[in-house]
Amino acid sequence: MDIRDALFDELYNIAKNDSNVILLTVDLGSFSLDKFKKDLKNQYINIGVAEQNLVGIAAGLTLTGKNVFIYGISAFVTSRCFEQIKINLSYMNLPVKIIGSGPGFVYANDGVTHNSTNDIAIMRTLPNMVIYSPCDAITMSNIAKMSYKSKNPVYIRVDKGELPQLYENNYDNFSDGLSLLKTGKDLLIITTGIMTHQAIKLSEKLKLINIDVGIIDIYRIKPLNKKLLLTFIKESKIKNIITLEEHSIIGGIGSIISELIIDNEINNIRLKRFAISDKYSEKHGNREWLHSFYGLDIENIFNETIKWLKYND
Amino acid sequence: MNKETVNLDTNYLKNKANFIRNKVLDMIILANKGHIGGAFSCTDIIVSIYYSNIFNFNPKEKERDKFILSKGHSCPTLYVVLADLGYFPVSELDTFCKNDTRLEGHPDINIPGIDVTTGSLGQGLSVGSGMALSAKLDNKDFKTIVLIGDCECHEGSIWESVMFSGHHKLNNLIVILDHNKQCATDFEEDIINITPITDKWKAFNWDVVTINGHSFDELLNCFSTIKNTQKPTIIIAETIKGKGVSFMEKELIWHHTVPKNDKIQIAKNELR
Repeated sequence: MDIRDALFDELYNIAKNDSNVILLTVDLGSFSLDKFKKDLKNQYINIGVAEQNLVGIAAGLTLTGKNVFIYGISAFVTSRCFEQIKINLSYMNLPVKIIGSGPGFVYANDGVTHNSTNDIAIMRTLPNMVIYSPCDAITMSNIAKMSYKSKNPVYIRVDKGELPQLYENNYDNFSDGLSLLKTGKDLLIITTGIMTHQAIKLSEKLKLINIDVGIIDIYRIKPLNKKLLLTFIKESKIKNIITLEEHSIIGGIGSIISELIIDNEINNIRLKRFAISDKYSEKHGNREWLHSFYGLDIENIFNETIKWLKYND
Repeated sequence: MNKETVNLDTNYLKNKANFIRNKVLDMIILANKGHIGGAFSCTDIIVSIYYSNIFNFNPKEKERDKFILSKGHSCPTLYVVLADLGYFPVSELDTFCKNDTRLEGHPDINIPGIDVTTGSLGQGLSVGSGMALSAKLDNKDFKTIVLIGDCECHEGSIWESVMFSGHHKLNNLIVILDHNKQCATDFEEDIINITPITDKWKAFNWDVVTINGHSFDELLNCFSTIKNTQKPTIIIAETIKGKGVSFMEKELIWHHTVPKNDKIQIAKNELR
């Protein structure tokens, strides 16, 4: 199932049963939203191309009893109205749900203005903010349900398309915030979103040369379930960890895991971070092309990882 | 609107405004901080909103009217009014801008009587639009009043809300513009002149009223007779920054300078 469809189908069910649920958009549509727009017209408002007003309106609605979801392109609904999010949502702790379509390079061909490669970094700095980053439709549906009940503001990074299903239909531990998708003994990959799928492919490639890889998918980036993550790390006894993210190397998953290791004084862990380096590409291309440019393609990660693992030997 | 008896006694309101300005002066001197000029320019507006009983701000009533001080730096006046009305102890005013206080330099939702944290100009009106929209969606009667500054109108986010509110015919939304014609460091006309104000807001489908923001007759008459059209209303209140203290009126430095030495007594005498 398309991950966006999973979100809007769930939202439709929620809103149909609760007339206080309001969905605001900044003139961004989706086929799977059409039913919501048609059947629940009093609960759907296109605010217009005005992200700052979007957040303020959402705050005002929430202060007067509504349960509000706001939807726009990830780059715009995080950066453009960051101050409003900081004051009206984070500081005032209003449970508005920000749906950010297109984290990372989802909208690669639309150019740098539409790339959202620092969203985790900036949203992490906001107290009370919950950040979700689902990798498949099952996770997305559950995140929609959890967000509906949230007492805190929420930011959801929503990728695009029919991503392979990694979680079982009856998986019911989504409140954990992360899961050990696969155990391994030689290397642990910690990742999120689209890169979780890349991690699966990478682990299959490494298996062919007898490197046994474990994978942790973090779908609730904040608050991080540090206890569970540390348990997984310690129980695995693995000393080599790589992080994968379609996000700046500054402030994302790699930074989070670095902080965790240092804060908990975990000795003898080596960490290598694969992320978008701190530079712009002068030329542009599709998502795969940008992955190649930034070394986030499977081939490069594979080669770099082997080199790095051998260095450890 | 309020079910209590409306108080249209302008002498009472004038005396109350004097009292409020006096307390604001004391508070700012004690703290050695505070945006006094703007606090004084909107005192009469805030007094007429809170003491006339035209609006209902009873905190026990969910469907009460809402007030947002979007020009949040003028909060000393609002703090004194809220304390005087019993939202929190008057003695707490002595903690303004001190350590371990709720009463910081801009309104905070942790203060009883304040619904929205403001201070970054241009944001309060959006929240007010959201409240007004909410009332429309649920056919509720409460009004939302937002007090903005003139230089605050430089912020693009103001105009996002203005367009939105005009388009959605939020006739339960009242904006009051404290038009004291001064920004922090220069006169409004020398930075960005926001006139013609009336033409701009009318173009965005708002009703526009212009009054003397220091005339209680005009303030009360305006609030009591807001036209029942399908448009939100802006009341352009022509005011004087530093109103009430002769040496402060229309002087740029009193945006947030604290009076010292003999100026304190001069101010106290004039506000007696």
